[in-house]
Amino acid sequence: MRIVHYVNQFFAGVGGEDAAGTGPELRDGATGPGRKLASLLGDEHEIIATAVCGDDYAAGNPEFAAELVAGARERGAEMLIAGPAFTSGRYGMACARIAAAACEAGLPALAAMHPDNPGLGEAAGTSVVESGLTARQMKDSLERFAAAASKIAGGEELTAQDGRIGPVARSNRFAQHSAAQRAVALVLTRLGGDRDATEIPLPDFDQVTPAAPIGDPAETVFALVTEGGFVPAGNPDRLESARASKWVRHSLEGLDSAQAGSFESVHGGFSTQWANADPNRILPLDVARELERDGAIGRLHGEYLGTTGNGTTVADARRFGVEWAAELRQANIQAVILTAT
Amino acid sequence: MTAQDGTGLTRIVHAVRELELGERTSYSAGCLTVGEQSARELLAHPALAEVRLACAAPGDSARIVGVLDAVQPCSKGPDGGGVFPGLLGPAMPVGRGETHILRGAAVLAAGYLPRAQEAVIDMSGPAAPLSPLAATHNLVVEFTPADDASWEDVDAALRRGLVKVAAHLAEAALEAEPDAVEELPEPGSSSNGKPRVAVVTNLQTQGKFKDVFVYGRSLSGGLPTVITPGELDDGAVVSGQFGHPALKNPTYLHQTHPVVAALRASDELELAALVLCPEPVDQANKELVSAHAARLCAGLGVDAAILSKEGGGNADADVTLKMDRLEEEGIAAVGILGEMAGRDGTGPPLVVAPTKATAMISTGNYDERMTLPACERGLGRERVALLDQPSTDEIVLPTAAIYCVQSTLGWGRLTCAETA
Repeated sequence: MRIVHYVNQFFAGVGGEDAAGTGPELRDGATGPGRKLASLLGDEHEIIATAVCGDDYAAGNPEFAAELVAGARERGAEMLIAGPAFTSGRYGMACARIAAAACEAGLPALAAMHPDNPGLGEAAGTSVVESGLTARQMKDSLERFAAAASKIAGGEELTAQDGRIGPVARSNRFAQHSAAQRAVALVLTRLGGDRDATEIPLPDFDQVTPAAPIGDPAETVFALVTEGGFVPAGNPDRLESARASKWVRHSLEGLDSAQAGSFESVHGGFSTQWANADPNRILPLDVARELERDGAIGRLHGEYLGTTGNGTTVADARRFGVEWAAELRQANIQAVILTAT
Repeated sequence: MTAQDGTGLTRIVHAVRELELGERTSYSAGCLTVGEQSARELLAHPALAEVRLACAAPGDSARIVGVLDAVQPCSKGPDGGGVFPGLLGPAMPVGRGETHILRGAAVLAAGYLPRAQEAVIDMSGPAAPLSPLAATHNLVVEFTPADDASWEDVDAALRRGLVKVAAHLAEAALEAEPDAVEELPEPGSSSNGKPRVAVVTNLQTQGKFKDVFVYGRSLSGGLPTVITPGELDDGAVVSGQFGHPALKNPTYLHQTHPVVAALRASDELELAALVLCPEPVDQANKELVSAHAARLCAGLGVDAAILSKEGGGNADADVTLKMDRLEEEGIAAVGILGEMAGRDGTGPPLVVAPTKATAMISTGNYDERMTLPACERGLGRERVALLDQPSTDEIVLPTAAIYCVQSTLGWGRLTCAETA
């Protein structure tokens, strides 16, 4: 099979974080880990090209995936593989997105990453195979990746034995008895000593290591971000009041504070009466400007990022987090104040 | 002890199989006639410019949109002491003596209030099995607020009006031959050796339009409290919470509390206590209330507890923290929770998971989409705000918008499992 392999700027040899804003491109043949992968895949398959994109660019511009997939198809690709992304969140998300885009375009696809990678949630049903934690486990990771890719190329489904990871879809259906009756039955089971019986498997949340403390605030660029449903009056982007599927960004340039009538909160989880009377209480622009004027902080970033945190799925919240991190990193922001409601 | 000894409730059940509007309120052989003039007078309030009454029966090609609260008609008779204490009757403990109920009927309000979400009931079709209020004969109260009225006053007027009408309707059946008489003894300290189970019911306490009233008061800022289950039958808990329609616990479901009913019906377990808890909005108070509820349960000598919540993701913590604290007290904890696993059902099902407890019942995934077919009649609101479509159109909605489908008081059969 003619395969296109996706890697980020680092594994393509373009550069580290300084090159994370690199846009999408296709290169002939295998690159970086793709070379070893090509030899593991054997003679039956050929890596005809490597698709490359910077992690920040990919996180901020989801359309990179469709663009690269279209390019891969023009080159006659019959399959797309991405990674391994290990635990790198932005890279994992990019791998998941491009694999999902390839699937949508009708190509068999496979991504590889660690089960804790937040990008796993973006795979949208596309196959993902487990990789190690870091590039130190490259050899084992590539061996499993190549074996899984051969299986997918042969039209087979991956199993847990192959290292298939990723969320298993759950769907609604009717039980025989009411939830109350089932709860009573589960009490009896639990009192009988069974600690495993449950209808809801315990979710496996990833643990995020906090960033190192900032040095001197007076030398630091700060950004304000919020999940308080904070929008310009009239809500031009139609940000949802609950179950937000997106986030918004708006300029704060030239504003001394968030005036009532200029901004409002559309959050559906609390009474917005006081927030709308003084929108600074959701996004503390007034105080941030004071600190900026006094030199207590270096500078305030010229725009805010915001969404509504109300009934938001963990998967969406995780995606917003990865996208915000990429955006803010691109803008050289060193510290963020996130107001939560 | 039995109810006749004075430490329990005798529930006198009158079944409603037909509902109509008429000149005078009456009940006879399953047919409830609502006197329009009387109902209007009971609902009249300066905050309401107009009220409109309509009937919706199971099987009707009708959709009710923007459902607020729903109430089961009940009465303790002219001399029996007040139902809905603190709102209609005096704020004194209820739950003893006799209570007449109209089973199969509900009075509900539908329309716009701030913070209220879609809240759809289809009286027929594929979504009908998803709402307890699609199986009742409903008197639907639509309203137009007075020009100068605050939304808070509109909300309060509707709440008071609904319970007044509910009591009035049940009074029509006081002399009728009952369909059933149910003796509901109060939980005692003895269980004849059966495991003792507490029902721990969390009440939303998030301020205006997101509050629940116990004897007319919010539990906000308070600690868990123990009441007898019979107090629920008499309307001691009245809902003023209009967010998260799928997860909503209306007054109707408190009055008919399905977990209480399931434990009363159990031969193997003893209903030992009902614990009501506020759902604070901050972590420290969630932890305090959870630890306190677990201590209360330990003090009551229970072996197990079944927990429920009201509201979205942050209310998961109010259940799962309590589950953990209960397990630490040596009490087996079973939580009833709705899942929020995203449209495709692949996301984490809970926002806050227990760390020690494990036993959970699912009332389905909030985010899964479903298609509701077009219908003939729309009540409550003319358009479905979320979609900006006429209420009678074919509509595609998240499960989250269907009234009470995921209520963790546990009336429904919806659950969630791995897609085969």
